[in-house]
Amino acid sequence: MIDLVAQSLFSGVLSGAYYALIALGLALVFGTMRVINLAHGELVLLGAYISYTAEEKLGLDPLASLPLALTLVVATAMAVYYLISLIKTDRELNSLILTFGIGVILTNAVLMIWSADIHSTTTPWYHDATILFDTLFAMQAELVFAALGIVLVGAVWWWLEKSWYGRALRAVASNRDAAKLMGVNPQLTEVLSFAVSGLLATVAGVAIYTAKVIQPSLGHHLTVKAFIITVLAGMGSVPGVLLGAVLLGVVESLTVTLASSALQELAGMVLFLVVLLLMPSGLFGRAKRRG
Amino acid sequence: MNNSVKIAVFLALSYVAVPLALGSNTYVIGLIVAALTIAGIAVAWALLGNLGGMVSFGHAAFFGVGAYVSALLTLRGGWPVFPAMLMAGVGAAIASVATMPALRLRGPYFALAILAYAEIFRILATELKPVTGGAAGLLSIPRLPNVLGLDFGSKLGGYFVILTIVVAAMAAYHLIRRSAYGLALKAMHDSEDATRVVGVNSIVLKAWMLMVSAFITGMVGAFNAHYINFLEPDYAFAGQWTMLAIVSAIFGGYRTVSGPLAGALVVYLVDQLAFKPILPQGHQIVLGVLLGAMILFNPGGMMSMLTAKFLRKEASHAA
Repeated sequence: MIDLVAQSLFSGVLSGAYYALIALGLALVFGTMRVINLAHGELVLLGAYISYTAEEKLGLDPLASLPLALTLVVATAMAVYYLISLIKTDRELNSLILTFGIGVILTNAVLMIWSADIHSTTTPWYHDATILFDTLFAMQAELVFAALGIVLVGAVWWWLEKSWYGRALRAVASNRDAAKLMGVNPQLTEVLSFAVSGLLATVAGVAIYTAKVIQPSLGHHLTVKAFIITVLAGMGSVPGVLLGAVLLGVVESLTVTLASSALQELAGMVLFLVVLLLMPSGLFGRAKRRG
Repeated sequence: MNNSVKIAVFLALSYVAVPLALGSNTYVIGLIVAALTIAGIAVAWALLGNLGGMVSFGHAAFFGVGAYVSALLTLRGGWPVFPAMLMAGVGAAIASVATMPALRLRGPYFALAILAYAEIFRILATELKPVTGGAAGLLSIPRLPNVLGLDFGSKLGGYFVILTIVVAAMAAYHLIRRSAYGLALKAMHDSEDATRVVGVNSIVLKAWMLMVSAFITGMVGAFNAHYINFLEPDYAFAGQWTMLAIVSAIFGGYRTVSGPLAGALVVYLVDQLAFKPILPQGHQIVLGVLLGAMILFNPGGMMSMLTAKFLRKEASHAA
């Protein structure tokens, strides 16, 4: 039993790493634009499917397909940004509906191009098992992408804390007008946040393609998970996002181990509602009113 | 044309002309019934969106609860169908009480909290096997009955039932909007804080709108259950119901009473007749495009666009 729980904690942490990539992208865009990009999960999905095609048609290893996937997904993210920037009035609600529509478009485009079959990498190395500390089991893909995920989250954190552009982005997120007066171009930070969010989404997509299975309806679920994590994390904290992601991953995998896989989503949703309704600033965030 | 003439023409068209012209064509009537089912949810969604100022991504929750309440009352409780459908509305309204803590959330938080409720209800319906039949679903749900020689169980009979639900929902939307509540709600939309200051309890108002919206959606869900005689959790709580309703309401114009209905008819029929045949997989991409284009270029929707055109024409005549 202890072994089972330890194993599910470990698997949960590994899923948390790529959840964090997805949630961080969503949170960055929300920070600069005050827009929840409901098509965010579909960007992840797009990255995953491009990686699939690259492997299937060009024989590229999923990691080697990253440059191609990055180019296309970031370009799509830019298109999403452009469309959102066209909204003139009531941006909070209209952007929600617009990005919801873009999500529908992307999901159906994926369905049209790649059909509804499920896919996963055909490179056997990724699915080989590794045993850590004699008891913990992981696929090699999970380890590779968990490591990559943590490095990337760290890099984004460093970028936001230390670099000029990262700080400009945080400045816009905390006070747009003041940032403008200090010579920051808010549009540029918005574009940047979308580009970084597309980058993180791509890596997450390739991670899901290699470590899990992909199918067209996945995008919507990923968006919801990412939103749940940002709520758990509270806005404005990168380590919070990582912790929230790991928490969601662990809660999900413990539910699967101790109850049933049918209840996996339920656990996440209940956790989400409890935190949303009872803890207005999330678990790790700075105080901020949502009501 | 004044309003009462417009309403009379609309009622004559929908209750007399459409059945006379298309009544024998079960395929077309079937499509229109499906479009009206969407329209019912769309009106409910618009009522909450316009009057309550809240965008919901989880109306499938109320649709599914209504469907299950009515199906179970008739199957297990031996209730007649029409009273069971009314109770389905009540059941969905009660379910909406469970979602009310979410009312103090704003914008995206409310929208996605409701989505979480829809998911939770779906999983509960799947897991509560002794009551709901679980993932296998409920079979042979009683069809709509024969009343005074009118067979509501036929396609055309179903048309009259769902049409009446939609018309009643539109009337409710119109009356609430015109009432003192409507005024308070409109004020709340402009500035919630200012409205609170002058003594309007905005949370209570929103809660009422949520209940009315859930009631309508539950009735529509119940209608659909008796119309197709079959239910399963993944179908009853499908995100499709919410998605189609949002596209219809936005496309038609959710701040107008007729917009959601017009939107549902156009969106659903265009999708099914024009795009499904040529794009069997992924034809709903068109819905995404319609939704995005409308919100970008004309957030008021189709009906406001037509009205604006009409007014311009009248103005130019006058000049």
